[in-house]
Amino acid sequence: MRKYLDFVGNVGLFVLQAARRALIPPFEWQMILRQTEVAGWKSLPLILCSGLALGLVLAIHTQSTLNQLGAGALMPSVQSMAFFNEIGPLVAGLLMAGRVGAGIGAELANMRATEQIDAIEALSVDSFKMLVIPRIIACAIALPLLTVFIDFAGLAGGYLAELFISDMSPRLYLFRAFHDVSWATFIPPTVKTVGFGIIVGAISSYLGYTANEGADGVGRAATNSVVISSVAIILIDVVFVKAILFLFPDTAI
Amino acid sequence: MKPVNPPVIALHGVNRSFDGRDVLKNMSLEVAPGEALCLLGRSGIGKSVTLKLIIGLIKPDSGTICVDGENIVDMDEDGLSKVRSRIGFLFQSAALFDSLSLYDNLAFPLRRLRPETPDAEIAEIVQKNLEDVGLGKDSRKMPMELSGGMRKRAGLARSLMLDPHILLIDEPISGLDRVTASEIDDLLLQVKKRDRPAMVIVTHDTHEARRVGDRVAVLDNGSLIGVGRIDELAQSENSLVRALVSREE
Repeated sequence: MRKYLDFVGNVGLFVLQAARRALIPPFEWQMILRQTEVAGWKSLPLILCSGLALGLVLAIHTQSTLNQLGAGALMPSVQSMAFFNEIGPLVAGLLMAGRVGAGIGAELANMRATEQIDAIEALSVDSFKMLVIPRIIACAIALPLLTVFIDFAGLAGGYLAELFISDMSPRLYLFRAFHDVSWATFIPPTVKTVGFGIIVGAISSYLGYTANEGADGVGRAATNSVVISSVAIILIDVVFVKAILFLFPDTAI
Repeated sequence: MKPVNPPVIALHGVNRSFDGRDVLKNMSLEVAPGEALCLLGRSGIGKSVTLKLIIGLIKPDSGTICVDGENIVDMDEDGLSKVRSRIGFLFQSAALFDSLSLYDNLAFPLRRLRPETPDAEIAEIVQKNLEDVGLGKDSRKMPMELSGGMRKRAGLARSLMLDPHILLIDEPISGLDRVTASEIDDLLLQVKKRDRPAMVIVTHDTHEARRVGDRVAVLDNGSLIGVGRIDELAQSENSLVRALVSREE
């Protein structure tokens, strides 16, 4: 138990250190842009494919149930509420933990093992500012954007499912999908993914940057980055959902 | 034989332990300007740690480490930054940045530490340094495309980008075949002759120590057990010193 508490404490201190040093110039704008491209742009195909497939599957499942209840017309609305409120943010977070978190953990651990971080320090460059802070910021920027894309890919998947069954027009589908959606339904769950992004960036950077087990540590850092980030996202989501429902009661489905 | 000129590197009474294990015990060492000192010894006895102490990547538990007469032990980051800009470091693995091309690897120190340098001048210096180590046509290659020997040469070229007057070199020929190792040693001799930096070279190879080093320091159990010219050490009363300096790899 103490080991886990130590880990949580160390990651917390790591995040605080990153937050403090992120405000001190010089700023690593180029690295932030580059890492945002890696975390965001390069994750986009995965996000779009996953969103489309999830939307399709979810629609197929809910359609039959809704039809039994005589509420088949609600399918677009159920689809949009499910994706905007929970599925989009959570799945985007988990996919980022898998793709980007593993990459950050492995890359930084490899840089540690092959003395690249020492080489940066030997040139009097602050390796923490150069390597860690841009990755955390990039994840925090990229994840909300990816969430928007997975939300709409999910809706598109839902429309494809609907198309097979009812030949519904895209216009009607969108009208029904957005009929019950307000900004309060969309914005808070999307903004919470900034927190998910910080979690993925911070945990995987911590595991990679502090790795000291040579080549063995690279694989371990990658695996642990995915596992711990994913669990942390799911756990913290409970807190976020309760906070959102408390602050924005209208978002309750 | 002690260096005649005031030393550019001076370690006095340095102690360092890791996880309760004493790696360096009361170590004292001096390197004169333009001198090449080879640190010889068995694996895992603190040779690489000594290099990292000299450049301030690791702090000693006690003792003083002076570079150009300044004690760097309690120096702040700004002070260390100035000291490090005068030191070139060739890491054992060459430590080229995987995500950057060879050109960008070499340009990195100039872009970071001398940002006022125009791109054209950076390009000129990079090309010259790459040609000096025989990699003039490989500037666009990524580190993963280079052989072990090429990586070491590239690492050496990068360590020379800021015209350092101190060069720290960690096992430059480890893992290389005899021919490639000899080429690397030739390059070190060229640098030694041309730039006259103070060099500390960590090596296991007596042949290399004999070729490149002016003096050899033999490290064992965290302490220096012999310092001097290699022919002097070959007559040492310490059998381990005699064994290490007379061993040909």
